[in-house]
Amino acid sequence: MRAFVTSNRLAIASLLVSLCYTPSVFAQWDVRGNVSTEVLVFPHTASHSANQKSSVSLSSEIELYTDIGDAGSLTITPFVRVDRHDPERSYLDFREFIYTHVGDTWEARVGLGKVFFGVAESANLVDFINQTDSVEGFSTDAKRGQPMINLLLTRDWGDIDLYILPGFREQTFPSEFGRPRIPVPINTDGTRYESDDRSNAVDFAARVSTIVGDWDLGAHVFEGTTREAELQFDPTLGALVPFYSRTTQVGLDAQATLESWLLKAEVVHRSGQAFTDHIALVTGFEYSFYDIQGTGADLGIVAEYLMDDRGKDGPALLQNDALIGLRFALNDVNSSEALLGVITDLDGDGNLLSLSASRRIGNSVKATVEYTGWSTDKASSSLLALDREDNVRVELSYFF
Amino acid sequence: MHKHTNRSVKPAGFSAGILFTAAVTCLSWVGPAQADEAAKQRGLEIATAVQAQDDGFGDSESAMTMTLINRAGKESIRQMRSKILEVTDAGDKSLSIFDEPADVKGTASLTHSHATEPDEQWLYLPALKRVKRISSKNKSGPFMGSEFAFEDISSQEVEKYDYTYLGDEEVDGIAVHKVEAVPTYEHSGYTRLINYIDTDRMVPVKVEYFDRKNSPLKTLSISEYEQHLGKFWRAGKMEMENLQTGKRTILTWSDYKFQTGLTDKDFNSKSLKRLR
Repeated sequence: MRAFVTSNRLAIASLLVSLCYTPSVFAQWDVRGNVSTEVLVFPHTASHSANQKSSVSLSSEIELYTDIGDAGSLTITPFVRVDRHDPERSYLDFREFIYTHVGDTWEARVGLGKVFFGVAESANLVDFINQTDSVEGFSTDAKRGQPMINLLLTRDWGDIDLYILPGFREQTFPSEFGRPRIPVPINTDGTRYESDDRSNAVDFAARVSTIVGDWDLGAHVFEGTTREAELQFDPTLGALVPFYSRTTQVGLDAQATLESWLLKAEVVHRSGQAFTDHIALVTGFEYSFYDIQGTGADLGIVAEYLMDDRGKDGPALLQNDALIGLRFALNDVNSSEALLGVITDLDGDGNLLSLSASRRIGNSVKATVEYTGWSTDKASSSLLALDREDNVRVELSYFF
Repeated sequence: MHKHTNRSVKPAGFSAGILFTAAVTCLSWVGPAQADEAAKQRGLEIATAVQAQDDGFGDSESAMTMTLINRAGKESIRQMRSKILEVTDAGDKSLSIFDEPADVKGTASLTHSHATEPDEQWLYLPALKRVKRISSKNKSGPFMGSEFAFEDISSQEVEKYDYTYLGDEEVDGIAVHKVEAVPTYEHSGYTRLINYIDTDRMVPVKVEYFDRKNSPLKTLSISEYEQHLGKFWRAGKMEMENLQTGKRTILTWSDYKFQTGLTDKDFNSKSLKRLR
């Protein structure tokens, strides 16, 4: 954590320097971003020490972009959040601090970057570059900036993406003062690594991708520290601590776009010393009804299956689960949308329900209301840990 | 928000329907006055002439402001830019980049359009850095909450309609050919369109749209044409009025640039990510 803060200070310092002494090769800065206020409400008293029934936080993400010469550009994207209760949720992170150079048939990027791979909705097994910023919420898409040297080669048949990833970013977790969380606190001071180099171990990855008619296809290989933390109990700390193992992962992703049908699959095989070799899979479809009854509204139906062949004994929460989702878009002036998602454990361990609605207010403000709830009627279910953490999140964001 | 402006956003209906597809069998609404072969031939000739005069534009860039006006007169503004690459003997490729409203700033879409096959489309979501391949089946839904449907603003290939010439008239003092166009593609929200083509410049100045029940739905008025590179006409303003809801959408274009040197590599799913 401390090293991270230091690197952020350095980043801020260099950001200030580059802003104050902008040489003439820099064109003007393009600035965009948002400022958001979030209120979280918990209907139930917690079964752990954080007993607040509501919380409030402020956040802001600003993207600064400038061209450097004809082929280069610099993107700097700080994200900051201040949370009333949880110090782990009060932080600054650079989602991006990266130089990009675009050649004729290649592209190179150096710095802190953000990359997305994947096609599915419930989980993206092939999205292995960036660490998840879990402190942003259970169903978050937020990712931490990853140090990288990336070379993209464009060929007639598709793209080759090569990565050197020096420096590992830890997953973030709520502190003992934060909600929602599991009752046993997670202490990142006790973080364990399989590699003696800990977070300094260098990772490598390569991905090829191509488009063949209606099919978008990708294949990758990754050699490095797993992004997913395995939680282990540390008796001296009296807390769970994250453990990160080394892995060799190969994977495939595919999407077929066939009129109203999107067929999707992501599959990975992981091998390593610290765990059983295994396969994980997410596959399913999305079907959309467009312009229903001439109203302009769309309804999308998503169904996906998630599997991890280590089963219930393994660390994966989604090992034999199904997602059913509905996406409703009014396509009106305010871009009103609603999403409903239910993830069900097919072994009967419980459900995760999430419901969200959003719309624009005026030209620059967006309002989101979201409910997340866990339920189980099985005493042995791991979801029991979360069954008092149901919450409603209300967010107002101003965009500029 | 997943389609976007193509070419000069030519009103639908200008792509000759040589194919006699299933959609055409719905022509029964033509009723007693069955269109004869000569009227069809003349309609096709006009449509082909409108399309042909745009051949050779190469590539173009432009900026667009969209003003949505509800029945009470309240306005909402959208801003976007588009880039188009002419592809000879195939559908054009186009990019749209959204600048306003601010919450969708940086969102971009890419379309590889095709005359008879479904278009290929990708959407870039900047917050997630995610490029999504999306379905192009949605023809009749509203574009950005406006009175323009996706099919109104997508690339207009000759084969997408069957045409019938209905005679010559005047619109606001301009002599026009009146040409009816029936979509030959699936999932259209219209039974037919009536295009009013300026006989002199061979560009549309008005389009009337009829809904699936063949009731008048919308009227598009196109004005402020300017000629670029001494050949290509581009409209400066289009106003779409929904006759059933009273809502209106006004599009205005500016900053037209032609032959800026865009190539295929500016129009692939990778290039979406680095658009500004």
